[in-house]
Order: sequence, then structure tokens, then C-alpha cells
Amino acid sequence: MQLLNTLLIGITAGSIYALMAIAFVLVWRSTRVVNFAQAGMALLSTYFGYEAVSRFGSFWIALPVAMIGGALFAALVELVLMRLLVKHASTGPIAGVAPIIATLGLLGVIRAAVSMIWGGQDLRIVTPISNNGFTINGSTLVFSPLKLLVLIVVVVLLTLLTILFQKTNLGLALRASAHAPEIARLSGIKVDGVRTLGWALAGAAGAVAGLFQTVNGNGNFSPDSIEFSLLLVSGFIAAVIGGLDSLLGAVLGGLFLGIAISFVLMYISSALFFIAPFAILLIVLFVRPQGIIGVKAGRRA
Amino acid sequence: MKAIQRRTLLTATAVLAVVGLAATAIPAQAAEVGVSSTEIKLGMTLPKTGTASLGYNKIPGAAKAYFDYLNANGGINGRKITLVDKDDRYVPTEAVAKTNELILKDKVMALLAPLGTANVKAVASSVNPARRGIPVLFVNTGFSGFADTKKYPTTYTVLPSYIMEAKIMGQYIKENFGTKKIGLLYQDDDFGTDALAGFKTAGITFAVKVPYASGSQGAAAAAGWITKFKAAEADVVILFGVSSATSAMLGTAAQLGYKPQWMLGSVGGDATTIKLTGVPAGVLYNAIGFSPVPATTDMTDEYVKFFSDIYAKAVPGSAFDLNVLLGMNTAFMTAQALKAAGQNPTRKSLMAAIDSKGATFANSALVPAAYSKTSHVGLTGYWVGKYSPTGDLAPIGGTYVTYTTDSGTGAVVKSTYKRPAMPAKGLPN
Amino acid sequence: MPKNKRESTHLPLFILGGVVLYFLSGMVDELRVYQGASIAVYVIAISSIILLIGYSGQVSLGHGALMAVGAYAAALLRVEFNCPIAVCFIAAVLASAVGGALLGAAAARLSGPYLAGTTLALAIGLPSLANQFSILGGEQGLAFDVGFPPLALGQDFTQYKWYFWIAALAALMSMWAVRNILNSAYGRSWRAGRGNEVAAQLAGIDTARSKVLAFTISAGIAGLAGALLAMTIGTVSPSAFPLALSFSLLTGAVLAGITTLGGVIIGAVVLVAIPEIADVVAHRLGGSERVTTNLPGLIVSGLLILTVLFVPNGPVEQHRARKAKHEAVHNSTKK
Repeated sequence: MQLLNTLLIGITAGSIYALMAIAFVLVWRSTRVVNFAQAGMALLSTYFGYEAVSRFGSFWIALPVAMIGGALFAALVELVLMRLLVKHASTGPIAGVAPIIATLGLLGVIRAAVSMIWGGQDLRIVTPISNNGFTINGSTLVFSPLKLLVLIVVVVLLTLLTILFQKTNLGLALRASAHAPEIARLSGIKVDGVRTLGWALAGAAGAVAGLFQTVNGNGNFSPDSIEFSLLLVSGFIAAVIGGLDSLLGAVLGGLFLGIAISFVLMYISSALFFIAPFAILLIVLFVRPQGIIGVKAGRRA
Repeated sequence: MKAIQRRTLLTATAVLAVVGLAATAIPAQAAEVGVSSTEIKLGMTLPKTGTASLGYNKIPGAAKAYFDYLNANGGINGRKITLVDKDDRYVPTEAVAKTNELILKDKVMALLAPLGTANVKAVASSVNPARRGIPVLFVNTGFSGFADTKKYPTTYTVLPSYIMEAKIMGQYIKENFGTKKIGLLYQDDDFGTDALAGFKTAGITFAVKVPYASGSQGAAAAAGWITKFKAAEADVVILFGVSSATSAMLGTAAQLGYKPQWMLGSVGGDATTIKLTGVPAGVLYNAIGFSPVPATTDMTDEYVKFFSDIYAKAVPGSAFDLNVLLGMNTAFMTAQALKAAGQNPTRKSLMAAIDSKGATFANSALVPAAYSKTSHVGLTGYWVGKYSPTGDLAPIGGTYVTYTTDSGTGAVVKSTYKRPAMPAKGLPN
Repeated sequence: MPKNKRESTHLPLFILGGVVLYFLSGMVDELRVYQGASIAVYVIAISSIILLIGYSGQVSLGHGALMAVGAYAAALLRVEFNCPIAVCFIAAVLASAVGGALLGAAAARLSGPYLAGTTLALAIGLPSLANQFSILGGEQGLAFDVGFPPLALGQDFTQYKWYFWIAALAALMSMWAVRNILNSAYGRSWRAGRGNEVAAQLAGIDTARSKVLAFTISAGIAGLAGALLAMTIGTVSPSAFPLALSFSLLTGAVLAGITTLGGVIIGAVVLVAIPEIADVVAHRLGGSERVTTNLPGLIVSGLLILTVLFVPNGPVEQHRARKAKHEAVHNSTKK
């Protein structure tokens, strides 16, 4: 029973990390930038969702509102911030750190702005469907209709995005713009527009992650809550473990991370909460430096 | 090249001369730091934001509510009391930084009720208020080590220590749950270690002990804790963590249908705070809790009535809970200490006042304080209560039965302490 | 302008700087002296980042962890063996240098974001590791007491002034050392490898070894900064080295100019001063408590973004570039 519950806890946490990891991978695949502000955008989108729930009373309306809001905001960031970054800081040693620092700065700006507008106190979004555990033969599982829903959403999102990337012209344009922007331009692809789209998709994925992370807990959230720190850190680690180039890798990475952390906390010590994700990252990278489904980078030419 | 070097050297020497002249200023001897003819400044560090801040961020507002009432009624010997509070987010090194600001920038007379075992310890070793003669009054932690007057000569506790609390809990468990399996949730730092020491003295063995890393408490972690307690088949689960850990545990337990006999430590046991996070009152019903001060819903108690009236006027719309009561109580004791420190209070006279008169300060606690020239120990015990169907803590059987003990191997005894009446208008006399 | 065969080590300049600081520290109040010590610590730490990223072209998000290694090494020696302070600091440099060598070797296998992820992992995970071993003091950490100022300096010599002196002296020494390392053959080989690795290898430079060397030296310097940081706080604990510290160092390096050592002091001063200035601005502008508590954070983060966008190579480099451009224009218009 304990084993089963440990596994279920891990799968639930992992599925939300997978959502964040998908967002990271989307940004990486379309613009080759690691967006450290991803969790900040997820946070902002969650507040959009909160506003929607307050006005319309329904989580199911709030979810698309948050996704659209997140997508628009992410697109805005790409249009303003990232383009300027490419123009001014894409040569020299600064090029390696510039996107990291810019997105970190953005994270700080978003956090501060959210605290200023909505305040730092806990707000609440109530779960749309039951978060009470399923009962089997008198014992309750750490798995509920809500957690099942999250899992389904992850699978659906993964499928839709993979179809988009692999089977559509748009997907081809996205991949081309990231790997070979000049050639893509020559083929008539609007590279800039396509990159913005990549960010927008990531923003929407992040919004889903933020909303579900909130209702999966006790529904309370604030700019400083542990839930969003977890999204930031574990989402990124899941993406790296999975190999930043693959959406499937993101999901596998997320699930792997969630399950591994759950087992460490259950069977070694629950006090290792902050160490476990990083230890797992280091071990995975030691064994496979390119991630689970990563492409071996090789020496840069 | 040589010419440039020479020029640089000359300019530098000239600058040095001027600077050297200016460096001879000697600052004038100041009056006691933080005390002026109109004002006494105190400083507080605590988590106002962050995972641990739940409930505790009401404390500055509560203390200020009392101080404002006091100031409106003449203050202390004509001086207003001002409280400067800073957010340390429960991070020890931030507590050090903010305390440095309080001492160096705000120039407070004393540090009041800093919160958190690890934080107060970090401040003690870095900022070293002891060496600088700065009083650290009524620390908002029950760590038993702070009563050590050799290590912390300027520090005064007020809350009963975690060892005292664990021993009293242990006695109750022995008397009522002798054969049952006991589980413990505790914080993975000195706060938790103190509790473990107390339970050891009380002779309690646990079927399962679950530590949580400070800052990790949330619904996700709680699911793991519950799975562990279930696997060990614990009948009684003691929650010896901060409020956010307790509410995470209870909230998730409700979702998972987990219903052991709960026992809540006083640090995280404030019902109002827990219910505000969405935990249904039914989950708390019949849980066992402890408090050194009267129940916050007990309007027949003169202190509770008095403090809640002031608080309702000062911070309308904010619920009166245990954090508020303790905050105002500490402010009340501080006011009496400042008054007893004399017409021109100094840091030394303030501490001497607590040493000699602290045990007789009026305060709402139902157990005695043990301040003396050799002891900086504050309150010494608890009453045992059960949470009602509405989730509020009330004494078992309706009347307060208090127990006192020490942080050593002394026995747990029923207390015969009768609390003196509140001074007129709730002002120090 | 033709450069001399051997550039001077600029030793007199550094000694002069030391004397100026000596007098300055007598003039200002305790808070400024304490901040001065913090600035000195940041100067050392940021210079280690500039060495690694600016000169060697490798990104590390986790220098906070390397600082932690140095700090814990110093504190352990002090607590367990009561070693003299100088020995503790040397141990800090050596311990973190070893850590840096290991990290550098690992960095060879990882590329771009994976290296970022690893250093990020270390930044958060390594300090927390201290919680698991009681000899490292847990969450409260170990005390690191450098002792009282020697009586020879007089009764009124405060503890904070003593910290400032030690930190400033260490900063001057390490800046002098870093400056000379960067101007040496090692520095040139790093810049060569950063510019074009293949060309560097063709020129006979063992780029792999020089990269590991860069990590090692950078880490050693960071370790010294960590030990000094521990000195100013008086304790070493996991919470002294949060992720925010690693990011602050990056910020400082960007503000300083990631390729120029000269701007390091600017970067350090800005890092220490900006939160305070932002606080003052916030209170000046007024508004609800909500606004005043968060405005400083907004300003600092906003400044970071603006700096990276518009002054990406730092103010010193920007100024130089502008001057060079101006000169070029001026020269070309002369007939």
C-alpha cells in the first residue's frame, strides 16, 4: 500500500513538473533560450485564472482565460525583451549569460509586480472536481479525480503538441526557425513570428501547470508559496533530465523526477526535500549528460 | 609613464592629507540608544512573508495595537513606544541582516520577540547582542537553550520551552493513550530536536517519526507524511511544527480520509489560522491542543476581552487568534518592564527590572513566569484542551487545569497558580 | 599605442588603495563600514565570475556553492582545530579550488543548458547538504569567529572595522593576483579558447586543461570570498548561500562588465547600494505598504534587465567603446 501510494504521489507531482518542462522545452526548441521566468509567467497566469474565477465562478472558464492570458503575456515578452536581447547582446561572452540574466530579472519583476497588484497574502482557487482520494477496499489512495485529470491533460497536451511539431507545416516552421533561422527565412518562413508563437504556446502550458499546481494543493497560493518555487526548480530539472530537445523527454523527465523524489522522501528521509531533486539531476547527468532523450551535443564547432 | 606615475602619487598624497585631517572627528557620547525624551524604539524580526509566515505575520499588528493604546494613555513615563518590525522570511541569515539594520540603522533600544529558533540562534552568534549589551526580550520561540544565561546573558524567554511542552504532552499520552502507537511530525532543525529531547525525558517512544525540512511544508509533502504515518499504523499523531505545516497536514488528511487522534503543538496549533487555509472545522474536532494563555474564544476572561476589544478597533476585520493574544501579551509585559526600568530607562535597567520584578508582571497567562536574578525563563506550563465541533480550542471539561514543569528532569505537576487580576484599564501601574 | 614587453604589476597602485581605505574606514559610521566589508567580499566574488565567464567563456550559475565550500572549510578548521585565521582562509581557497577542479572536469562533458542545470543544482543542493551532517552544524550552521581586533589598534576599534580591514586587505590582494593572472599567459590562453577553440588548439593551447584551470582558479577565489562572507555574518549556514547569491554575483558581473576587471568595484558597490537606494526611493514615492515592500525588488530586477539589454558589456567597456568610436570618427575626419 505504501509502495503504491508512493508511486501515485510521484506520478501526480511528476505530471505537473511535466507541464512546466513542456513549457521550457517549447521555448528552447523555438528560440534556444532557457526561460527562467517560466514559473513567474505561470504565477501571473494563475492570478489571471483567479480573477476569472472571481468574476465567472467557474474553474472551467478560468482555465482557458489563464491559458490565453499566459500565451499573450509570453508573446509580449518575446516581442519586447527577447528581440532586444538578440539585437544588443548576442555576441561575445555576454551572449551565454544574457538570456539567463534577463529572464531571471523578469522573474523578479513579475514576482514584485504581482505582489504589488494583488498583495502577498494567500488567495484561494477551489478545485473544480473532487480532490478526495479514491477508496478501494476501505483504504484511501493518494490519487483523486483531480489528480487523474491532471495526468490526462498532460497526455493530451503532449499528443497535441507532438502532432503540431511533427506533422504540421507550422511545426516544421517552428523547428526550422530554431535550428537554422537564416535558411528558414530564405524559405519564406516568418521566423520572428514563429518564435513568438513558440513562446505563446509555452505560456499557455505554464498557465495550465500553475493552475493545476494550485488546486492540487489546498488551493491557496501567493507569490512566495512553495508550490511556485517547486514549479520553477523542478520544472527546469525535469526538462534538463528529459533532454531539452524533446517534448516526450519533458514528460518522461517530469514523471521520472516526480517518482524518484517521492521514493527518496518516503524511504530515505522526508527531510531531503530540497536536496533530492538536485541529487537526482546530478546522477542523471553523470550517467547521461544529454538527458534521457537528448541528442549528444558534441564539441561545438 | 614615469611622469604620470609621479602625478598620481602627488594627487593621492594630497587627498590623503585632507582625508587624514577630517578623520580626527570624535563622536559625542550619546544617551541610551533607542531612548529619547519622547520615544522608546524597539525592533522585531519575524517572517512576514514566505512559507512559514502563516499566522505569525499578525504579531506586529497585534503588538502595535497594544502599544498604540498605551501611547494614547500617556505611554511610559511620557514616552511613546515605537515598534520597528522587519521581515526575515524565517531565513536565519536574513534575520541576521535585518537585526543588524535594526541595531545600526534604526538604533533600537532592545530587540523584541524575534521569531524562530534558528533565527534567534544565528543572530546570537553573528550580531552578538550579548556582547553589545542589547536586551533580547521575550523571544518568540520555545527553544530551551535560550534559558542558558551564560550563553545568552541578555536574552529572556517567555513561551514555555519545547521540552516543557513535550513533557506535558508525554504525561497526557501516558495517562490516556498508554498502549497506543504514537507518531510525530517535527521540523528538521533545533526546534524539532528540542522536542525530541523533551519526549525522551518523558519516556515516550515513537512508532514513527517524520521530519520535514523547514520551508518544504505544503500539500505535496503532506501526502508523503500521511503515507508514512499510515504505514506505521499510528493511532496518535503529534504535530510539532509551524502553522503552515499543521494546516498542510490536516488539509491533506481531510482529502485522504486520514483520521488518527491528532495532538497539536502550541506553535502550530492556532485554530483560527488553520481554518483560514480551508481546513474544515470537523477535522480539528476532538484533536488535543495546549496553550499557556486562555482560549481565544473565552470572552469571560478579562484579558481576552480587553485585548480583543483593542485589537478589533485597531485592526478591524482581522480575526483575534492565538498569535494576536500572545503578541499583545508580550507587548503588555514589555510595557511593564519599561515602566519598572525607571524614569530614564537604560538597557541595563530594563534587564534588571525583568530580573527583579518579571515574575510579578501582570499578564494573561494561566501559569507563572519564573524570571529572577538567576533565571531568564518565562512561562512554565500549559493547560490541556480539546478542539470543539467548531474547531476552537477549549479546556477539557470546561475548566482550566494547568500543568507546570521545567526543561530538565523535574516532574510534571498540576499547578495551583491563581492569576492576579488585570491592572486597571490594562495599563502598567 | 605599442605595449610594453612586460606590463607593470601595478603594485604601488594597490598599496595606495589600501592606504586610502585605511583613512576612509575611520570616518564613516558602523553601518557603512559593515557595508564596506560586504562590498569587498562582492568584489572578490564578482572577479571570480568575470574570470570564468568573461575570460574563459564558461557559464556557472552556482558560484554560491563554491563560496559555501570555502566558508565551511574555514569554519571547520576554526571550530575543530582553532587554526589561526590566515590558515583558515588559505584552506578555504584550497578546498574550493579542489571543488572547482572537479566541476571543471565535469563541465567538459556538459554543454550549454545542461551545464547551467548542473551548476544550478549545486547552487541549491550543496549548501543544503550541510543539514545532513551534524559536524557541519545543520540549519543553524557553524560559528566563524575571527576573534577580536588586536589590542594594539586601540580600545575603540570596533569589530566591524576589523572585518572591513581583513576583507579589504583580502580584496586588494586578490584583485592584484587576478589582474596579473588575467594578463599572463593563462589569461591569454583563456581568451583564445573563448574566441575560437579550434584556432586556439591549432596554436598549441590545451583548451581542455586551460578550461579546467579557469574553473579551479575561479573557484578558489570564490572560496576566499565565501570565507570572508562567513566572517562578516559570523556564521556559516546553508541559508547564507541561497540561489539568490549566485544570481547576485552574475548580476554584479554584468553590471561590472563581464569582460573587464576594472568595473568590478562598480558592480560590487551597485549590488550593495541598489537595495538601499531602492528602499529610499520606494519610501519617497510613498503608497500602500504593498507598494513600498515590493518596489525595491521591482527596481533591482528591472535594473538588471535594462543593464543586460543596453549596457551588456558593462559601463567601463561601454565607455571605452564609445571613446574608441569617437576617436575613430575624429581621426577619420582629420585630413
